[in-house]
Amino acid sequence: MAGIDTGGHGGKRATNHEIPLIPFIDFLLCLVLFLIATAVWNHMARIEADANVPGPPKPTPPDKLEPEKELHVSMTGERQFQLKWKQGTTVINTIDVPRKIVEVGDDVTYPDLAEKITKEWQANGTHKTAAAKKLDRAILHTDNSTEFEHVIAVLDAIYAPERDFDVGGGKLEKIPAFQVTFAAE
Amino acid sequence: MSGAKPLSRFHQPIAQPGRRLMHHVGLKFVANKAAGGGGGKALNADIPLVPFIDFLLCIVLFLLASFSSSGELPLDKNIKLPNAGNAMDMIEAPMVAVTGTQILVDGIPAGSTRAILDANRMQKIEELGELLKNKRELWTQLKPGVKFPGNVILQVDRRVPALVVKSVFQTAAFAGYPAVSFMVGKLQK
Repeated sequence: MAGIDTGGHGGKRATNHEIPLIPFIDFLLCLVLFLIATAVWNHMARIEADANVPGPPKPTPPDKLEPEKELHVSMTGERQFQLKWKQGTTVINTIDVPRKIVEVGDDVTYPDLAEKITKEWQANGTHKTAAAKKLDRAILHTDNSTEFEHVIAVLDAIYAPERDFDVGGGKLEKIPAFQVTFAAE
Repeated sequence: MSGAKPLSRFHQPIAQPGRRLMHHVGLKFVANKAAGGGGGKALNADIPLVPFIDFLLCIVLFLLASFSSSGELPLDKNIKLPNAGNAMDMIEAPMVAVTGTQILVDGIPAGSTRAILDANRMQKIEELGELLKNKRELWTQLKPGVKFPGNVILQVDRRVPALVVKSVFQTAAFAGYPAVSFMVGKLQK
């Protein structure tokens, strides 16, 4: 057993004490059991989507501000995705990406789409600097019968490109490059 | 046989008390070993408590370090969530669960998806909209002067069609929740 030995023998009361290890072990075991019982092994996360859905383009814009470029991701085709850069009603660029599913366990992923979107953002994205407060906008077009796991896989691919963001005091944080909304169809 | 009366039914001579069991077996070395007096290592050993406490402390520290309250969110048993790699940490917000045909807001039934599937077009879910509006009003009453964040989290089963997802999404947006998030499992990148 562990003890504290002060060496003295002259005092009235004994100064050598045994540390009560058994209650201490009991306490530690209780703590371990409590922590194991309350532990969460599968951590949940979230994928954001903005509900500020863009409406139909107005014939006369309220001011002369130039509309920003937006990336429209269409997953309505069975064999391919379509990426379309649009500025207002003007289509700037259209890219087709083959719909190649890569399964990770039970999950569906589209790494080719993520790679293509990252390259497209690097080439055509508007808000790329750390000082930029706004994010580039991506709009997801999906048909009604698509299963939710495929929608999440495409959202995950859209959130693949990341950029630095100045949170103040010269401190940089990595944030997704796009803000995603669903197309109002 | 003599005429003396036996002391008991099974007559035994009076013997000195002591150990008797297996006395005739010649295993003296075992007795010596058990008593600790013999050669070799002693069988009586102290349990090393200090390394045991160190080990327990390490477990406690590991469990405390991995303890997180962000993942402790109620998940409907009938929902199998998809996983995503580029996901963010969870936030506190009303939870809308969409199972096969049922919609729940924080565990309270809030309509069905059957009408949407039958109509095969996007539509507002009245019951869900009302419940979310009530929650928003309650929040603004409890925190006057604070801007309502408008966050809502959707727990949607991975097999639910996009039509239902979009309808729930639209209903939440109309109820004053523009920041919609989808709950997912964390996929290792």
